[in-house]
Amino acid sequence: MSDAGIYVHIPFCLTRCGYCDFNAYAGLDDLQPRYLQALLKEAELAAPGWAGTPFVSVFLGGGTPTTMAPADLRSLLVHLRDRFEMVADAEVTVEANPDTVDVGLLGALHDAGYDRLSMGAQSFDPGVLASLERIHQPASVRAAVGAARQAGYHNVNLDLIYGTEGETIESWERTLEETIALTPEHISAYALTIEPATPLGRQVAAGTRAAPDPDLQADMFGLACELLAGAGYRHYEISNWAKPGFECRHNLGYWERRPYVGLGAGAHAYRDDVRWWNVRPPETYMEKVEAGELPIGGSESLDPSDAYLEEVFLKLRILEGVPASWFEPDRYAPFVASGLLEDEFGQLVPTERGMLLLNELVLGLTG
Amino acid sequence: MDQSKIRNFSIIAHIDHGKSTLADRILEITEAVSARDMRAQLLDSMDLERERGITIKAQAVRLLHDGFELNLIDTPGHVDFTYEVSRSLAACEGAILLVDAAQGLEAQTLANYHLARDAGLTIVPALNKIDLPAAEPDKRADELGKLLDRDPDAILRVSAKTGAGVQELLRAVTDLVPPPVGNADAPLQALIFDSAFDTYRGVITYVRVKEGRLPSRATIKMFATGITSEAEEAGVMAPEAMPVDALGPGEVGYLVTGLKDVHQAKVGDTITIAGKAGASEPLPGYREPKPMVWSGLFPADGSDYSALREALDKLKLSDSALVYEPETSQALGFGFRVGFLGLLHMDIVRERLEREFDLELISTAPNVEFHVFKAGEETIVHNPAEMPPGGDYERVEEPVVYATIITPSDYLGAVFELCQGRRGEQVDMEYLTPERIEVHYMLPLAEIVFDFFDQLKSRTRGYASLDYEPWGFQESKLVRVDVLLHGEPVDAFSSVIHRDKAYDYGKKMTERLKELIPRQLFDVAVQAAIGSKVIARETVKAKRKDVLAKCYGGDITRKRKLLETQKKGKERMRRVGKVDVPQDAFIQALRVDDKAAAKR
Repeated sequence: MSDAGIYVHIPFCLTRCGYCDFNAYAGLDDLQPRYLQALLKEAELAAPGWAGTPFVSVFLGGGTPTTMAPADLRSLLVHLRDRFEMVADAEVTVEANPDTVDVGLLGALHDAGYDRLSMGAQSFDPGVLASLERIHQPASVRAAVGAARQAGYHNVNLDLIYGTEGETIESWERTLEETIALTPEHISAYALTIEPATPLGRQVAAGTRAAPDPDLQADMFGLACELLAGAGYRHYEISNWAKPGFECRHNLGYWERRPYVGLGAGAHAYRDDVRWWNVRPPETYMEKVEAGELPIGGSESLDPSDAYLEEVFLKLRILEGVPASWFEPDRYAPFVASGLLEDEFGQLVPTERGMLLLNELVLGLTG
Repeated sequence: MDQSKIRNFSIIAHIDHGKSTLADRILEITEAVSARDMRAQLLDSMDLERERGITIKAQAVRLLHDGFELNLIDTPGHVDFTYEVSRSLAACEGAILLVDAAQGLEAQTLANYHLARDAGLTIVPALNKIDLPAAEPDKRADELGKLLDRDPDAILRVSAKTGAGVQELLRAVTDLVPPPVGNADAPLQALIFDSAFDTYRGVITYVRVKEGRLPSRATIKMFATGITSEAEEAGVMAPEAMPVDALGPGEVGYLVTGLKDVHQAKVGDTITIAGKAGASEPLPGYREPKPMVWSGLFPADGSDYSALREALDKLKLSDSALVYEPETSQALGFGFRVGFLGLLHMDIVRERLEREFDLELISTAPNVEFHVFKAGEETIVHNPAEMPPGGDYERVEEPVVYATIITPSDYLGAVFELCQGRRGEQVDMEYLTPERIEVHYMLPLAEIVFDFFDQLKSRTRGYASLDYEPWGFQESKLVRVDVLLHGEPVDAFSSVIHRDKAYDYGKKMTERLKELIPRQLFDVAVQAAIGSKVIARETVKAKRKDVLAKCYGGDITRKRKLLETQKKGKERMRRVGKVDVPQDAFIQALRVDDKAAAKR
């Protein structure tokens, strides 16, 4: 049985940001004790189906998991270790908002066994942070990273977003430099994507805000590749860079199409070409679990062509590339000729320009 | 019915001057329809007509009133159908010339008046809408009196809406319009002034018997086509169809011809009895319907080609003016080059294809017919792509029209400017009143098929009106402008344009296409060219970013579906050389200037 991961979704946030379309809610904190009980119960319900599967990672995402008390997060992890067959050196990540952490809290999480910390820094430009409706200041990111180090964290990720309205290439360069200066082990840099079902999406649709300029985002991507490589980070997925050995094991599981179980409202699970997901509203989720049933909201079975398409685009995303032997030469030769793919000893790997045009590559290769 | 008690008449008016409302009121007063059954504008039977408030198909209704048989013959109210109007008028002895008391004389008022006068009809003028606060009946009566050379005080004033004065108007019709003349014993001559196709009964013609008798069952002959048929039923519309034994001289009614194709019973043709009993000569004035405007129609989904052909075949059964031939476009695939009487006709056909046959269509910009002279040979070109490129011919002729524009004098300058800009040549002008002017221009038809009418309306704040009639062909300095994508000409975008306007057109098209063509993996040159000479160029810069930023556990399904959607979108694109062009780009680029038609 291949190595699996556990994803746990914590849907609570202090505020909702205009660009975010995750299953997250502000003002539902009163539900937390009940939600924790539901998670524990769901783990019990789900675990028998995963007997014999070794779990190599846990990822607490959200939302903002650190809105929950460290003691609760501790008992959650204890419970998961109890129910699922987790390997001794499993990677355990918790997402945090730089504004809601201090040494005490991070120390408690680290003690509890959360050994990887992922924080949404987004930008070091106050104007960009305001535009994204993020409530923190650049200084809180610096303070949070300091606190994490003090608390014993040796594996820290910072999330960045580029291409926000008003952000210049110079501003982005400063953000990258400030980030590098904090020496996180891992950096995720995402081009701002306009999701239709968000306040930002509605503003763009209404024309009251500009959509990101894709050419500027392409330049920003190029700059990230250059500066992060120069600082010793390895580009291992379209939007992810890590110091060698610090690639996120859990996320690699998604991209390598390894199995994962999802716990919590709206969480997804996958195994053997079947994907299923929980109901999204926290209230419905809790009611189902409390009634003793698995809170499944839907599922899909991948047919061979779906699986093939996922295989190709995920392999291209993690820059591992795909074997040239999978395709007719006239499908990939034009991309090699135009410098979007490199043929590395029979493996087709996207170039930096190719990464930016990955959808085109996938469509062109799979026809 | 005693022939002396028959009155055949039409109502002629500018659009929106109240013709249909007056017809409704007359039907109500003569109790042909009870008020309960009365639907507004009863004579306009097709949905499209009702929506647009215009009358496409002429029809006739028989009314009994004060011991008279009144046949009210409706006329199409649009410049595209001038010939059909003239045939309807040829079935009458009189016409009510209806003028809006607020608006006054308009271009179609004059055009229709001239048609009626030329047909020798007795004109009964009337001012309508006198109930409107903006009505100026005295002023309008002076205007109309001057046109008709009559005493303004003798012009009737009515409100079709309230019914005021309509009784008096009907009396004027019976008093002034002469009864038809015609000999019941003469060989039959019946004028077809309209025809329709009924799924169950086949071709039904609307006829006016000029001479002789048309029995209910007879072997009939059509003069223009020479076709004979067993007619099944004659009758009158009262207003529902009511069979009669025969239609006598001067009478108006319908005939179920036994034919299955309207092209065998054409408007303006003469019906007689087959064999020796028949007339030796047709009635004068028949003309083959002649398309003025052409456009390529292509199914958005190539597999709908045969459905489009069947739909056109069906429409043709009831539309004798519709002509089409197969056309193959490199860019748009298989379709048809379709000829129309005018822009409205084109719009109606297109809408019926989309609405009644559920087809999604891409249509090329409308063009006129060109006569190309080369090495002593004349070629008729209906498709710009067939025009020899780069001036490889001796001369080209294009159709011109004689346009009548009536405008308030304040906007005369604006009208001049518009017409000069459209290569117009002024013929003359005349003050109808100190404030209103009638101007005549010779204009290339090609200049009108674009947004001329829209422009006229917007430059005169809606006050000017337009009518035109074909006036032959003239030599012009025309060139074919091609549009090239990445070096490949796109036949659907080729256009024949006056040389002086080619640059503007090329610039406009390339700029528009630059916005419509999505960025590709390489720079795409969008060029306009005359022959091998490029006259305008824009570049669609290569796409640099097309990647999904995030893809984690919960995203994979959604991202895969996005990719599948993107793939389907790509499959629906048309490929021009190496360039993928969305359907929508063709529709948007080609469907810019035809709003004028819809508004008319």
